[in-house]
Amino acid sequence: MSTLIMIDQPPYGSWSGREALDMAFSLAAFDQPASLLFTGAGVTWLKRAQDTAGIAQKSVERNLSAAPIFGIEAILADRSACQKYGLDESSLITGVTLVDANGALLEQYDHTAFAG
Amino acid sequence: MSSFDTLHILNKSPEHPRAAQCLALLSKGDALLLTENGVLLLSAGRLPAVGKVFALSPDVSARGLGNPVGDVTVVEFGDMVSLSLQAQRVISW
Repeated sequence: MSTLIMIDQPPYGSWSGREALDMAFSLAAFDQPASLLFTGAGVTWLKRAQDTAGIAQKSVERNLSAAPIFGIEAILADRSACQKYGLDESSLITGVTLVDANGALLEQYDHTAFAG
Repeated sequence: MSSFDTLHILNKSPEHPRAAQCLALLSKGDALLLTENGVLLLSAGRLPAVGKVFALSPDVSARGLGNPVGDVTVVEFGDMVSLSLQAQRVISW
């Protein structure tokens, strides 16, 4: 029973993305295979060097770094969205796999859930 | 103190329908101030051709967009106040 959590909302400005991450982490904590797929503006979660001191929020980069420890199987990012937001290997955080967010990908998972 | 007709304050991500609406209404003599998720427009590489573009510094660095390319002026909160005083009207999208 594998689950794909899709995050298409930018990291800051609303809490829905973080709620999705909590959902994924709790699934993984109960040994349910879970992976994350970032699409649309959601890929901006994966930008390197986020300095969030000015907006008094914890950088999502640190949340994401805990993903492997929780047992998240994969952190996927939609290729075309990354291009749109000017993100490539040099500006993405490590451990991200570029994919095409299409039907073939979604079919590999029993469940797909969105954030908010 | 250059003055603007309308100061458009955009805090919506480029994917939000209101972002496209704001950009469509931007005209010569206007200013666009990008805040919160609005600063993502800087990375989506589609700065408008008309109007002067500003972006709020804490939001820019929070999204790791350090020194944005293109004709944009990064401002602090204090500058936001003076910008709104320079405009005939302000629209917060």
